[in-house]
Amino acid sequence: MASHFSGVLKLTDLDDFITPSQACVKPVKVEKKQGRSVAKIQIEDDGSYFQVDQDGQRQKLEKAKITLNDCLACSGCITSAESVLITQQSHEELYRVLRQNKQVSSSEQKVVVVSVSPQSRASLAAHYGLSSSEVARRLTSFLKNLGVHHVFDTGFSRSFSLLESQREFLERFRRKEVDKKALPMLASACPGWICYAEKTHGEFILPYISTTRSPQQMMGSLVKGYFASQKGVSPQQIYHVTVMPCYDKKLEASRPDFYLSKYETREVDCVITSGDTYQIDSYELLGHAGSGSGGYLHHIYKHAAKQLFGVEVDELTYKTIKNKDFQEVTLEKDGQVLLRFAAVYGFRNIQNLVQKLKRGKSQYHFVEVMACPSGSLNGGGQLKPSSDQTNKELLQQVEELYHGERTSVPEQDSRVAELYQSWLESVGKEIARPLLHTQYHAVEKNTNGLSIKW
Amino acid sequence: MKGALELLQRVSAHPDARCWCVAWSPSGTLLASCGGDCAIKIWGKEGDSWECKCVMADGHQRTVRTVAWSPCGKYLASASFDATTCIWKKTNDDFESLTVLEGHENEVKCVTWAPSGNLLATCSRDKSVWIWEVDEEDEYECVSVVNSHTQDVKHVVWHPTQELLASAGYDNKVCIYKEVDDDWECRATLEGHESTVWSLAFDPEGQRLASCSDDRTVKIWKKSTLGDGESDSSDESWKCVCTLSGFHGRTIYDVAWCRLTGALATACGDDGVRVFKEEDPTVDPEQPVFFMSAHLPKAHGQDVNCVSWNPKEAGLLATCSDNGEFAIWKYNSDS
Repeated sequence: MASHFSGVLKLTDLDDFITPSQACVKPVKVEKKQGRSVAKIQIEDDGSYFQVDQDGQRQKLEKAKITLNDCLACSGCITSAESVLITQQSHEELYRVLRQNKQVSSSEQKVVVVSVSPQSRASLAAHYGLSSSEVARRLTSFLKNLGVHHVFDTGFSRSFSLLESQREFLERFRRKEVDKKALPMLASACPGWICYAEKTHGEFILPYISTTRSPQQMMGSLVKGYFASQKGVSPQQIYHVTVMPCYDKKLEASRPDFYLSKYETREVDCVITSGDTYQIDSYELLGHAGSGSGGYLHHIYKHAAKQLFGVEVDELTYKTIKNKDFQEVTLEKDGQVLLRFAAVYGFRNIQNLVQKLKRGKSQYHFVEVMACPSGSLNGGGQLKPSSDQTNKELLQQVEELYHGERTSVPEQDSRVAELYQSWLESVGKEIARPLLHTQYHAVEKNTNGLSIKW
Repeated sequence: MKGALELLQRVSAHPDARCWCVAWSPSGTLLASCGGDCAIKIWGKEGDSWECKCVMADGHQRTVRTVAWSPCGKYLASASFDATTCIWKKTNDDFESLTVLEGHENEVKCVTWAPSGNLLATCSRDKSVWIWEVDEEDEYECVSVVNSHTQDVKHVVWHPTQELLASAGYDNKVCIYKEVDDDWECRATLEGHESTVWSLAFDPEGQRLASCSDDRTVKIWKKSTLGDGESDSSDESWKCVCTLSGFHGRTIYDVAWCRLTGALATACGDDGVRVFKEEDPTVDPEQPVFFMSAHLPKAHGQDVNCVSWNPKEAGLLATCSDNGEFAIWKYNSDS
């Protein structure tokens, strides 16, 4: 069984055998009772388990459940079966909600919102031989016919993410002399990278990671916050679905940090992958310049060059360092290096980046870190190549379609500025911060000899 | 042609612990040993006996499973259950820790240097094989992480002349890796063993690969040539041309192919050490025949974990065991 999670998450002890759950972050609580008696376990035809005591007393046993909420892709997982990890998230869930909407009264109905990522659009476009905008058009139409009320493009929320990242970088750059962990700032849009960082490098690496929310979670904020109040509905009345290029985004959506406890609802209720959507449709689209993984390096670099050094950058010149997934961009003036940025994709390159950082040998100011080689366009949830196409050929096609979209400059987008003003500035900095930023938590490792397999 | 193994010396190298590995330096004058006591010891000959020259006891927090010398003899790599691989630099008679390679999730089982001297491979219980590169400034960086095995990877070994890597594991498979574009990939999977493959050894020319297993057999694999030779260099095709079965009583933990004589030695869980020789190879290269030339049933008091041929002195063999000792033997092909 090949796991669809990014390669970074695969490097764990996941297997299909139950080992003592020492390393599980959220072990299931076991109710222990006193007594020396031995009990037998009987399995019924329907698969339920009954404990039979010595005196014949039967007691139904609770099924241990691990939901996506509990699992942070830690290395002590009870079972790696995908069905356990993603039970709550699939296109079936979306259909279930839509079906239910048709059966209940209007006051009980959910407002269904679907946010589609540009990467998913590009993947679908390549698969069906359409342009990205055609895909968007058809997808919107299809979803609306199913009963979806609103279809958005996460390119829009990405503008917010890019703007906020730019601001965060400048702020960190300005305090780099007093705060040794301000730089390099490491991108945070990739949940595969975040899960790995929290689990493997913990407290050491977290201060470097940008706290700016990813486009998905920025959209979560927007939809369940601003949009909800505009529509006069409460956040839990909205069912928010996102369409993403990878499965790791499902883990991101289920982080406790993105759960609104006041309303008992998640900011993103369900994530489905590009591969999960079979038909397509569209709506107004927003592309951004830069990489197929959001363009963070591109936007932050240009903004920083202008704001910090008054340099207008037109085209970025990327230099390949070790391999195509490790690229550098430097800003030099009069022989001095002013800014040194890098794009680091894939596990092997992340390894080297983190090791260099640990040894204090990292020269970078910002690094766009992505778990998947070739970035988000090559995510695990994207559509696979047809029989007469290689992975490489498909990826190239997807990249072309992705970059074929009309691009916008976030700082110049009036709609974004308007929304920023009316929503975030109106609520004030205190409330705006958690809407735009998040936190990270180191996962404690528990090495125990019992789980060793020779 | 009956051969014999003569004991030259027995050394209690790692008392109260397993001795997991012994490795000869490229010059053949030093022997490195490592074990369950978390230590690495370097042995040199003084007169007629092997004496301990150096002890590296603080490099690792857990068992040291494998030690390997760089082709130039100036560096030693040690792979440990503490999930790290340590690189030591030899300065006169001492070894100092140069750097520690981190990254594996759990126990590192094996480390090996490429003949070029600037590539290193490690493998682990985390099922992955890592390829590292060292530059002129002695900086080590990860080049690739390959996940072709579905279980614990026990052994990695480089081809003697080409940039080709082989690995073996608990999933009963042998994988062959090559660099394609800028990344390392598994280009062939050799299946046939019925249980864990513990170790691998290429023959002196690099035409054949020997594998030994928990299924008590040694298999010889040969690279198949497509008519005029390797026309499509990307794909690797190896097939099993010989299986040595019925010779070993238990799991075979290690196999070593002598660069000087072509003799094949095995280390077995039945405490025995055996040497195999090839019968006239010109008869049919596609169906080689090996015969057991020497067998020492109780070479050690417990499982023999490792066997290593001296690279300079023909017939000189080192073995080590679960009882913490290593032994030096002289193999004579006809006695």
